[in-house]
Amino acid sequence: MGLFEFIYELFRIASFFIILFLAIILLFKIEKVKQLQEIINNLRKSLEEMDEQAKLILRTDMELNKAQEELDKKISSLYALQKISRTISTTLEESQIFRSTGSVSFEELGFEKACALLWDENNKKFVFYLVIGYKENEIEAIKSYANSENNTLMDLIKRGKAFSSISLNPDNPLIKATNEAFKVNSFIVCPLLTEEFGNGLFFIGTQNTELTVTAGDEELITILANQIAQAIENARLFEKAWKSQQELERKVEERTRQLSRALEEVKIISDRKTNFISSVSHELRTPLTSIKGYAAILLEEKLGALPQAVKERLAKINRHSDELVHMVNDLLDIARIESGRTTMKLAEQDLNNIVSSVSDLIFIQYKNKNVDLVTDIQKDIPPILVDRSQIERVFINLLGNAIKFTPEKGQVTIKAREVEEDKVQIDISDTGIGLPAESSSKIFEEFYRVDNSINQQVKGTGLGLSLVRQIIEAHKGKIWVKSKVGEGSTFSFLLPLVK
Amino acid sequence: MYCFYMAINVGVGFSTKTNATLAAAEAVRKAKLNLDNAKVDLAIVFSTVDLVNYGMLNTISEETQNARVIGCSGAAVISPRSILNRGLVVMLLCLPKDIYFNTSCVKEVKKSGALNAGRELAEGLLYGFRNVRRDLSIIFSDGLIAEGSNLIFGVQEKLGRSFPLVGASASDNMRFSKTHLFFNQEIFSDGAVGIIWAGKVNFGLGIKHGWKPLGKPRSVTESRGNIVQSIGNKPAIGIYEEYLNYSRAQIEKELRRISVLYPIGIYLAGEDEYLLRNIISIEKGGALRFQGNVPKGSQIRLMIGTKESCFEATKQSVEEAQKKLSIAMVGSKGQTNKFVLVFNSASRYTLLGREAMKEWDIIHQGFNPEIPLAGVYTFGEQAPLKAVSYQGQAYFHNQSIATLAMEG
Repeated sequence: MGLFEFIYELFRIASFFIILFLAIILLFKIEKVKQLQEIINNLRKSLEEMDEQAKLILRTDMELNKAQEELDKKISSLYALQKISRTISTTLEESQIFRSTGSVSFEELGFEKACALLWDENNKKFVFYLVIGYKENEIEAIKSYANSENNTLMDLIKRGKAFSSISLNPDNPLIKATNEAFKVNSFIVCPLLTEEFGNGLFFIGTQNTELTVTAGDEELITILANQIAQAIENARLFEKAWKSQQELERKVEERTRQLSRALEEVKIISDRKTNFISSVSHELRTPLTSIKGYAAILLEEKLGALPQAVKERLAKINRHSDELVHMVNDLLDIARIESGRTTMKLAEQDLNNIVSSVSDLIFIQYKNKNVDLVTDIQKDIPPILVDRSQIERVFINLLGNAIKFTPEKGQVTIKAREVEEDKVQIDISDTGIGLPAESSSKIFEEFYRVDNSINQQVKGTGLGLSLVRQIIEAHKGKIWVKSKVGEGSTFSFLLPLVK
Repeated sequence: MYCFYMAINVGVGFSTKTNATLAAAEAVRKAKLNLDNAKVDLAIVFSTVDLVNYGMLNTISEETQNARVIGCSGAAVISPRSILNRGLVVMLLCLPKDIYFNTSCVKEVKKSGALNAGRELAEGLLYGFRNVRRDLSIIFSDGLIAEGSNLIFGVQEKLGRSFPLVGASASDNMRFSKTHLFFNQEIFSDGAVGIIWAGKVNFGLGIKHGWKPLGKPRSVTESRGNIVQSIGNKPAIGIYEEYLNYSRAQIEKELRRISVLYPIGIYLAGEDEYLLRNIISIEKGGALRFQGNVPKGSQIRLMIGTKESCFEATKQSVEEAQKKLSIAMVGSKGQTNKFVLVFNSASRYTLLGREAMKEWDIIHQGFNPEIPLAGVYTFGEQAPLKAVSYQGQAYFHNQSIATLAMEG
């Protein structure tokens, strides 16, 4: 083997090994490429999967955003609705219902245009008066549309439920007509149904092309429309009530004026009567005194002895004169108290003491008729502030009447209790014949006498209880009677305590 | 030797009166309380659409002795006390001699095209300002301009790609019908207004949104400006049909909600967050029109956010603005005053709903509660990106909160 052959053989072997080595490397590379390809495929797949996941995220996010948006809108709308409702519910002047809310609140609801149209039955047309977001010329255009012959607004009101640009079928020509007439892109219309003042409609809308009216909006606006209807009704009722009240007040004023005039006239007549009684009484006392004086002289036979028959007649003249003097004195007292000429000399008095003193005076009468006089006065009763002599007259009069109408073996009770902080109530009860119901209210009137058998037998002036009432009232007290025929009477009166 | 500089004097007032003239008078009166009768140089005005009228601007001009006025309308405005659904906020600035500014406006953007309008606005801002070292520009544009990104692009052409630009797209009461811009005593739409700052003024900006990517990345295979025809060679709307399992009609019906909750995010290399884009409308053939450009070839993802992630982003935005302002202030001498402007997305306001005040609290608590603060809810925000590769170039953002803290 020559050198050349040796080198050739060596080269061949080396080539073989190099080719073998390269083949092995190629195999490894192919394997590596396969692995890389697999990684790339996996990455691509992951990217595609992630892209799919991104789509899911986006779709979910879109739904969430929509829900959030609707929720936000609802919350804002509820705030705005509450604000508007609060304002309109406190507004009692119809023209102020919208003015007081302002346009901002409506814009918070997402609408910048609003108006209310009410049907005027008398003039057969819509009255357009609550307006937000419209200029004068636009209002005129809407008025023309609302009152044009071919408009369908009244039919829509009669449907009785709200409709909007989304609740109507998109092909419904009403959408286009309403949008054009009210110059909006989306709207909600709700009927305004009032019980007393006819119907109308509430319109709210927006030019915003971005805003989509939702079913939630429709519900909210329906609530608002009901509140507006209620507010309108309230405002009108209030106005009606206010007018009635004004009329009533005017009538009461007129009537009061008439009554005041009548009272003045009555006072004048009463004063004249009092003056007349006072004058007449005075004039009567002078001749009566003469008559009594001469009768007494004759009775005492200072002018010579008189036959028995004359004496008897003279005694009658004397007795009747006494009655007449008594009557004249009572009349004079009443007249004096009524006219205010007699002032009560008020002083601190012990009620027990007054009752005891009066009881002593009339004790004989009670004993003679066999009638018990019982006193029931509250222990430690505070002193009273009265004119003693006048109050004694009251007791004498009432106790005198009680014994007059109480049969033998009957009972008369004087009861006294502190009833209010500064008053004492005194009740004088008897077991007498009692009073018919119709007499209770008249018994304190002058010259009134109850029609009963005793009064027919016993003479009286009918002035005693009237005088009693005058005295009690002059003490700023009051007197009343409770009675039933056959079961006795109770005369009650209030007198002031010393404060 | 000590050197004293006069500081910027700022007062903020607001009003919720329904009469625009009375509201403006009240807001200016409140703002002036902190100004010690100093001459007002500039009024920044944000108002909800219901108060936008000439009476408002005339009153502000009268009450400030014809100070320059700049501002825009918003879905709501941010005052130092709360968020106002209806109202206006006025920030009055009295500037020291070493702080300069210029204002300008451009109208009829649709006619001239957004790019040209941007150029024109920048030219106006630069008028008489070419030889001054410029620091920052704030732009307010009509939020309904389809090519908001191009407007910014046009401005950048003139001011420089890396020139700090912060902006807000005016909004309305979420009707997407008409937004308003304020320039001195003028009110107009289909335009933009701007202000450029120079001199001893520092600023710090934080912009965040809080949305996170979800699902696999996709590529925009066909787009023109803010209209995306196809994603992954399928009609653009397919991405939403697939992920939500909604029909096209359903998507159309709920477009506003879908757009706010699940915008698309454009991947930006080196940035913490994706650049968000809200859908404005569905176009022929299933194309999607976005609020801002979406370049062909962009890597996009569907984005998802929660209220909590929103709040976290707000916190980060405030912290970032403060941090950047602190860095910018290194070396500042003498007494200075701070103020804050907030451009917050109207979409965030919609999403947060009743919890929007929680976000206001985060901003308020993040800064000193006494700091003058005003803001507006916008249909888009413009702010520079942070990553080095973007060289501070401003981009059109959606659903973000831009917090601009200034000091001078």
